[in-house]
Amino acid sequence: MKLFLTVLLLGAAVASATSAGTDGEISYEYHRYEELRKALVSVWLQCPTITRIYTIGESFEGRELLVLEMSDNPGTHEAGEPEFKYIANMHGNEAVGRELLIYLAQYLCNQYQQGNETVIELIHNTRIHLMPSMNPDGFEKAASQPGEIKDWFVGRSNAQGVDLNRNFPDLDRIIYVNEREGGANNHLLQNMKKAVDENTKLAPETKAVIHWIMDIPFVLSANLHGGDVVANYPYDETRTGSTHEYSASPDDVMFKSLAKAYSIYNPVMSDPQRPPCRKNDDDSSFKEGITNGGAWYSVPGGMQDFNYLSSNCFEITLELSCDKFPDEDTLKTYWEQNRNSLVNYIEQVHRGVKGFVRDFQGNPISNASISVEGIDHDITTAKDGDYWRLLAPGNYKVAASAPGYLTVIKKVAVPYSPATRVDFELESLMERKEEEREELMDWWKMMSETLNF
Amino acid sequence: MASKYVGLFIFFHIVSLNVMSQTSAFPTPTASTNDKTVYNRQLTEERPIQAQIAEADSVKAAVQSAESKRPTSSKVTESQQDRDGLTLLKSLADGQKTQVKTEVSAKGVQYVPDESDSTKSRRLVEDYDSTKNGMDNDDPETFRQVDGTPLTAEDIVQKIANKIYEEDDRGVFDRIVSKLLKLGLITDSQADTLEYQVAEALQDLIAKNAKNNEIEGAESNDRETKEQQDDQGSDTNTDTWEQPRSRYSNKEGDEADDDVEEEADKDAEVQGGNAGDEGNEVSPEDGLQDLQYFPNFYLLLRSLDSDQDTQERETLITIMKTLIDFVKMMVKYGTITPEEGVSYLENLDAMIAMQTKSKLGKSLGLPDFTAPTGKNLDEDDNTKAEAAKMQREYENLKDSTKEEQQSPETRQPGKSQTYLEAIRKNIEWLKKHNKEEGKDDYDLSKLKDFMDQQVDSYIEKGIIAKDEGDTIKRIYSSL
Repeated sequence: MKLFLTVLLLGAAVASATSAGTDGEISYEYHRYEELRKALVSVWLQCPTITRIYTIGESFEGRELLVLEMSDNPGTHEAGEPEFKYIANMHGNEAVGRELLIYLAQYLCNQYQQGNETVIELIHNTRIHLMPSMNPDGFEKAASQPGEIKDWFVGRSNAQGVDLNRNFPDLDRIIYVNEREGGANNHLLQNMKKAVDENTKLAPETKAVIHWIMDIPFVLSANLHGGDVVANYPYDETRTGSTHEYSASPDDVMFKSLAKAYSIYNPVMSDPQRPPCRKNDDDSSFKEGITNGGAWYSVPGGMQDFNYLSSNCFEITLELSCDKFPDEDTLKTYWEQNRNSLVNYIEQVHRGVKGFVRDFQGNPISNASISVEGIDHDITTAKDGDYWRLLAPGNYKVAASAPGYLTVIKKVAVPYSPATRVDFELESLMERKEEEREELMDWWKMMSETLNF
Repeated sequence: MASKYVGLFIFFHIVSLNVMSQTSAFPTPTASTNDKTVYNRQLTEERPIQAQIAEADSVKAAVQSAESKRPTSSKVTESQQDRDGLTLLKSLADGQKTQVKTEVSAKGVQYVPDESDSTKSRRLVEDYDSTKNGMDNDDPETFRQVDGTPLTAEDIVQKIANKIYEEDDRGVFDRIVSKLLKLGLITDSQADTLEYQVAEALQDLIAKNAKNNEIEGAESNDRETKEQQDDQGSDTNTDTWEQPRSRYSNKEGDEADDDVEEEADKDAEVQGGNAGDEGNEVSPEDGLQDLQYFPNFYLLLRSLDSDQDTQERETLITIMKTLIDFVKMMVKYGTITPEEGVSYLENLDAMIAMQTKSKLGKSLGLPDFTAPTGKNLDEDDNTKAEAAKMQREYENLKDSTKEEQQSPETRQPGKSQTYLEAIRKNIEWLKKHNKEEGKDDYDLSKLKDFMDQQVDSYIEKGIIAKDEGDTIKRIYSSL
């Protein structure tokens, strides 16, 4: 027993020299597929009441596209609770994001158990989905490269050679036409399920993510990349087709705010003196660590714009490292640079206006439209009639409408945060007709009594 | 659960038999003269595309009408409007001429030349001269009943089941369904429904035929004729089947195989028991004589001795006996050697043990269990000891060095270590959390159940490997 204790103390001494601070429980190394899976399972085992692991499908080579969900009620959408997601590693050789999400999962679980108020608050009021790798096949290819320096291209695309960030249906084209000629300004992918399932050009990973986006009413999202350091926001594809052109979306103001909310806590990203990653890089479009997608370079078929144009979800793209697949011993540094940004960005989901749209009987109206005067992009209510409309601070007129109902407009003053609660009760056209009829009857009755007929 | 278990049995049985049998051992009734042309077509390798589509149509229509009772139009016309049921059946009837035994010919094209199929069936029929007259009626291949009325979906399911039964080839079903799926005529869920219905029909067939071994004339068909049974169809089918079956029992009688007779007796009794009051009249001694060679099965039966398990028990007995009969017959006909038969049955018993353990979550309590189980017990002890050791250490030290002492180990984790660590943290947190909130001690057994459930669902979805899941469950059970 004594020897045992001695060994323990020695071990403790050794360990304390190598571990650091509150993040002592996270080990900063690259996770291959099996290790990734086990790391997520460990987080789940440690925090089973606030986490759940699920898979949205399989990669081309059959690896599960794993998601770790964190919420006070994992597995269900609570009415009024916004949904958030992080997706990383869609380019298999851009490895930092993948690792960061694993560390984030461990971190949130640890912090929750250690009583961190911010984290507890966040987990209780948000449903957070973390997908460390959208392209596990690509990652394996990139990670298996021999030697120190990983190639700039190997492992980028999926196992079929498809660049997943060019593989999404190009809805930018459609919105640009609609801007000129009139047409819908949201939810542009018609006949969703059929179009997706029958589209042979979509990679299985892309299809799985599209289904995921359709199933869960995501409000805010970010997609993690590597190869540069900046927070990039819509639109990614230029209007005229030129290679560099600022392409503002209707929510340009809000997107800038969201991107800044990330970059501001990342000392490298927000450093105005930061030299470009490579000597000849053109980062003239980067301002305060953020950039418009089209202004940087045009990207058609990307996931970021697809989110915004096919669903209610606002997504930005985060480039987190000059090196796509840096050395393992730099991972800890990357974590420290990004930890606060990652948490703060999740908190951004609690901004703008949110609430419920119901009818006069109190029944929720799903798929009602919420439009904001001056912003040519509407969002819709989810199954419980709940909606979340991200807005920068200001005064707005918000309208709720649904087919067969009378539109209601409300004036709202929106602060930076938290979100302002605005509920709508919509009167159906039938009800209004009924009311008018009754009024008419009352008037007739009164008249006939007075005039005695 | 019972039906699932039974279904599993059936499936396993069919698959195994499929593996073991080389040729079909059961006679096929000859075609009526009407169908001579059909038979001739069968011999040619080429089937017109129309026929293929039409046949697939009819099956698809049958499936859909079975599901929703609303017939849909054929794909050929490329429209999906509701059609009058009668019109549909008429089209089925029309299609009959062109609806070759595409199943057989498909089978022929893909696996065995057409010639051998048809001649094979003919040869067997000729063996039974006395019955040639009786074997004229229902041809399982056509889509029309004896009297010319078109078939309902249930009939088609019945026919498929018959075909599988007589050919001893589950592949028949797979071929049809994969063809339909490929043509996009049915969805996956419809295919599942069809499979389920065919499995049920097959189950009925097997049980009925076990019964028919003994019963000659009138039979009180106690078993619930489920929706698959069309009156006429079933009569025709059972007529067809009664004869071959009784022939078998005659043949066996020649060999003075008393066991079979006894079993058949017991079958009848068991069947009667199914219907109602007689209950568990099966006396272990004689009827289950054969089953003494199946210790695991026997134990399984033993474990099902409560009242509500009566039906299950009897179904299992019936199925087992039928299986034994099949094997005996195959040995008799030289399809398999006696040694193969014996080893098949032995494997079956071992399989029962395994499946029981995994599906029902309990062991049959046999001392001579297969090796893996023994190993499990050992590991269980080790994990238990280790967990206990860790608990003790923790209580001794009770300071933060505990965690750091873990990390060098977790750096090279055996996965059970990492998981153990994670679970320990959770338990710690629960203890602390509940203490803070002034609640009573967290409910460990409820947590354990919840985790077991989650682990199972994760294993199913491919998120956790089976052995990892077992590790986790063991850790929880050792707490």
